[in-house]
Amino acid sequence: MDFELTDEQQLIRDAVREFAEAEVTPIAAELDRDHRFPSELLPKMAELNLMGMPYPEKMGGAGADELSYIIAVEEVSRACASTGCILSAHSSLATWPVYKFGTAAQHEQYLHDMASGRRLGAFALTEPAAGTDAGAGTCTAVLKGDEYVLNGSKIFITNAPFAEIYIVFAKTDPTQGTRGMSAFIVEKDTPGFTVGEAEHKLGIRGSSTPPLYFNDCHIPADALLGAEGSGFKVAMATLDGGRIGIAAQALGIAQAALDASVAYAKERVQFGKPIATLQAIQWMIADMATEIDAARLLVYRAASCMDNDRPYGTEGAMAKLFASEMATRVCGKAIQIHGGYGYTESYPVERNYRDAKITEIYEGTSEVQRMVIARAALR
Amino acid sequence: MKIVVAYKWTSDPEEAAVRADGTVDWSRAKPGLSAYDPVAIELARHLADAAGAELIGVTAGGKGVAVPIASKAALSRGLDRVVIVEDESLAEAGRSELAAVLAEVIRQIGDVDLVVTGDSSVDVAAKMVPTVLAGELGWPAVAEVTAVSGQAGALHVERAIPGGVQVLEVSGPAVLAASADAAVPRVPGMKEVLAAAKKPVELLELAALKVPPGNAVMTVTGRSRPERKARKGQFIDTTDPAAAAAELVTALRGAGAL
Repeated sequence: MDFELTDEQQLIRDAVREFAEAEVTPIAAELDRDHRFPSELLPKMAELNLMGMPYPEKMGGAGADELSYIIAVEEVSRACASTGCILSAHSSLATWPVYKFGTAAQHEQYLHDMASGRRLGAFALTEPAAGTDAGAGTCTAVLKGDEYVLNGSKIFITNAPFAEIYIVFAKTDPTQGTRGMSAFIVEKDTPGFTVGEAEHKLGIRGSSTPPLYFNDCHIPADALLGAEGSGFKVAMATLDGGRIGIAAQALGIAQAALDASVAYAKERVQFGKPIATLQAIQWMIADMATEIDAARLLVYRAASCMDNDRPYGTEGAMAKLFASEMATRVCGKAIQIHGGYGYTESYPVERNYRDAKITEIYEGTSEVQRMVIARAALR
Repeated sequence: MKIVVAYKWTSDPEEAAVRADGTVDWSRAKPGLSAYDPVAIELARHLADAAGAELIGVTAGGKGVAVPIASKAALSRGLDRVVIVEDESLAEAGRSELAAVLAEVIRQIGDVDLVVTGDSSVDVAAKMVPTVLAGELGWPAVAEVTAVSGQAGALHVERAIPGGVQVLEVSGPAVLAASADAAVPRVPGMKEVLAAAKKPVELLELAALKVPPGNAVMTVTGRSRPERKARKGQFIDTTDPAAAAAELVTALRGAGAL
């Protein structure tokens, strides 16, 4: 096995870290405190070709491999989990299904703008009564002439209302369950499509997640993404890859917490010496570093499977399950190392802790990941 | 028209350790582009774009300077191509020997109008190569450069000096050492990183270069480590700032520091 990153992967990691430390880290606490979406970062990320890294250059992307993209999500998330979430939702959840299932005309109309970062994307699957049970959605799309008419609502939609292109899932045949679900590309400002008030969240507060409302929203018939009735497959295939992005986000958050803990442990003096000299602290640092490394191996392995056209559903689920729960554990230890200061906004670890929790929940809860993994193990 | 940037692939001193005998252990330090060289590349890239010149990176050193990641790192910052001399004998070479090699490479490239370097190397920080290189080439050297405009051959160069800015008109070829704030280096985009592998890399053999003996020869005659003075641990109450300032001045005078 070769555990070395390629030259390009190392240089991409260094470049994204340089960008993130210069542009993202300085505003991360403020984005969190003010629940502010970092609109000013998106053109800068687009200029560095971060918004469509794994897509071909001729389609507006950077032509990088999946692992390089995952490393980029990790590095951005290390600086700011909200910005990592925005990047991952745009690239993995919104752009990927257009790339994978879109027609040539849809590629022409949307993919270039999305992969180049000119237009931000969002993925609208979850509904108020259909979270983990995504197939239970009640949003409908009825074909009338050469248009579909959308009705219903979505909830927790990352990147709305800033996104311009939405991948929306709706039932074209409610009698067929998941096989009656279809995917559509819906543009912002389409009449009948409105965005509600953003949620106030525990963490990733710089990422916007409002509900969407469709009220007799007419979209052209060629807005259908993939075949009619294939929407659930489109959603599940998209989430298989998206989970690796969330795992990378968790990895970045945990690394940030470890970095802060190491720095603090060397500076903080108690009993006349830095607390880093105390075994109680050393053991926590050792466990954190080991868990992060184990997660990194799982995450990079899953991305590598994707790069090599090998199945990655189970590998991605394992990576997300372990990395997300690891991030919560590591960030908890980071607060413990910081003591009372760690519980305040004076240090970043309380933000890391709040940001980490969502990675256990969105794009498939830990329980869903365990279902996926168990299904493969018991096959 | 050609502009050369002399860059260095070296190790990050923050990851180096100082041994008890005062020598430096670089074995665990991560190699990378010397910290100030991206500034030189950025400054030179602007000048090259303005003049339609080719921008060539040049480096010389011991084993490791020709590894692909080193040239890719430099090329991704905006160079058009690189020319590299890698030879084990250069690993411990002094600044004068390195400058002589770089000068010969620049002569062989030919028609070079300008050489730009970083302010200093991040590992040694001697700030000598630009000046010795200029001496080898017979060109003027301008250090502490904060801004450059105009074209190679008729440059308007600003340099920071104590109390102000010195403005120089530089004609003919020259070596400029860019200060750390002469330009804001761009972060390489993903496409630039991926395209770096497709740019030309030329490897030159040191023996084939036939580098003439350098004009300046420097040798290390000794090595010492400054003694660490014990701290006095004297605290001054700053409740009354004026009294505190007076007490500080008295203390410094008493210690012979003023």
